[in-house]
Amino acid sequence: MKRGVLIERGAATTLVVLTVAFALFFVLPFAGLIDRAIRDGNTIDLWRTQQVRDALFLSFWTSTISVVLAIVFGTPVAYLLARARFPGKAIVDAIIDLPIVLPPTVAGVALLTAFGRRGLIGQPIDNWTGFTFGFSTLAVVMAQTLVSAPFYVRAAKGGFEAINPQLERVAYTLGASRIRTFFRIVAPQARPSLIAGIILSWSRAMGELGATLIFAGNIEGKTQTMPLAIIQAFEGSSLGLAGAVALSLILLLVALVALVIFRTIANRSATPI
Amino acid sequence: MSLAFSAARRLGPFSYEASLEANEEIVVLFGHSGAGKSVTLQMIAGLLRPESGRIVIDGAPVFDSTARVDLAPQKRNVGYVVQDLALFPHMTVAENIAFGLPGGPEQRARVSGLLELLQLRDLKRRRPLSLSGGQQQRVALARALARDTRLLLLDEPFSALDESLRAGLRRELLRLRKEFGLTILFVTHDLREAHLLADRLAVFDAGRILQFEDRETVFRKPLSRRVAELTGVANIFAATARARTSQSIEVEVAGLRLACALPLASPPPPNQVVDVAIRSERVNLRRGRSSESEPNLFEAAIVEEFAYGATHTLRLEPVGPGPAIEVEIAARPYEVLGVSSQRQWLVELPSEHLHVMPQR
Repeated sequence: MKRGVLIERGAATTLVVLTVAFALFFVLPFAGLIDRAIRDGNTIDLWRTQQVRDALFLSFWTSTISVVLAIVFGTPVAYLLARARFPGKAIVDAIIDLPIVLPPTVAGVALLTAFGRRGLIGQPIDNWTGFTFGFSTLAVVMAQTLVSAPFYVRAAKGGFEAINPQLERVAYTLGASRIRTFFRIVAPQARPSLIAGIILSWSRAMGELGATLIFAGNIEGKTQTMPLAIIQAFEGSSLGLAGAVALSLILLLVALVALVIFRTIANRSATPI
Repeated sequence: MSLAFSAARRLGPFSYEASLEANEEIVVLFGHSGAGKSVTLQMIAGLLRPESGRIVIDGAPVFDSTARVDLAPQKRNVGYVVQDLALFPHMTVAENIAFGLPGGPEQRARVSGLLELLQLRDLKRRRPLSLSGGQQQRVALARALARDTRLLLLDEPFSALDESLRAGLRRELLRLRKEFGLTILFVTHDLREAHLLADRLAVFDAGRILQFEDRETVFRKPLSRRVAELTGVANIFAATARARTSQSIEVEVAGLRLACALPLASPPPPNQVVDVAIRSERVNLRRGRSSESEPNLFEAAIVEEFAYGATHTLRLEPVGPGPAIEVEIAARPYEVLGVSSQRQWLVELPSEHLHVMPQR
């Protein structure tokens, strides 16, 4: 009995120590960032520079477009993967997951070999039309979509799978078309998963660096998103480490505020279940 | 409202092939799970396509493999209620019922009529998950009936409910059938439920309908040993046909000669091997000893006994010639006869309840 109590207590203590250590590991970097920013004190000044504003604006709207693309193209795919059975489904599933497990730099190189000027279809398109994907804002969106959309598809698929398929079957017998059934029955119920997927993929797109750097380059005002601006600052532009710190903090705050606003709106318009 | 159905399809380990028809009645599809009952409903609803066959609802073909007719489930107008009910959890009771109806004032009138009909008026703003099992059940029925449906397909709709609730809902169903002239196909694996609800009974086994007749016929005169087993006949003996008169046929079971009433259109010739069935509640116990003058009697001793409250089930082994047999006896006669104090009995198998079946 006494020994049992000791083991109980030992386990509880271990749990607390582990939790605190883990929490500290996550909190400390942010504390460091804020501490440094306060000591340097130029965050506000940087906020006002054109370069930072451009980078922030670019990050914001390219990420949003990437998510919209993920929703438009990814939702039907997720629904199909959740419901349909077809040969090779496991392979399609794996291909969609691929960008999640690959380093983004690999994704960037892959994009270059496909859509770059010498790429698989980039070259013929360049030859016929003179149009190139690389090093443009479009390239930024492509890089972000490739890397972030799988997060949305994954979450949406999980949400769809959790819905009892009988609901859809009964809806059909009640005269509802597939489209109506999807929007009235399936989507409202998958809503929490869809919202989680949107947040995940938007955040991933906001933070995208490797693929963008390789496929879109780092052109101020055109392809330089916030993560790229941070790297540039860190690697010794006029801004220096202090700049990198300030930019990081700005990105962090903006993303946080955007997510809170999005969540609030999404939850408010939701009908309680 | 009438339904004519016949369909065939490969289905996992077996092939499905069945046909039946229904006309303003309750047809119970009875059998073990996986026998093809639910599949039948899905084919009628348009949720599963037969490889071949023809399904006609109220004179209009909704599926015809030769004429290449295959109406979508949306166009068949059947009410389909599944075991887990599949109520839409994010909608209120009223919204659930209204889902299949076009909007407008007519919709409101129809929904309020259904709320009234199924005593759901006070619950119309509630969400399904906050309702009791019986209430959810009524919502599912109301939703299925909303589009003026005359054909209801019910797939074990009561299986998740308490016995007390089931009784009320069965009464409800019988009332609705009468009031609207509904045709109802009701899937169940519960023998008591099947017996209570069925006008006609279709016994399913491994993708086939073994027997499809009015309830009494199926229960009293099963076509085969398998039907007898599925419908809960406890005593089925292998027997040999012997003599035969105009009213009866004599068979031999484990050295005992039994006279059986003769309902068969084509009685088996002598020496043919047959199966003989008698339901356990049709067997009588008597005091005394067997005599040559009275047929269908043999001595047996109780070897096992189960008390179910209202009834007792006894298992008896023969003392002389005769089969081992199971007897079900109601609590009252059990006490009056004093079964608990006496082990050895005279077992009577009344000839009118002995049912002879050809062996397959």
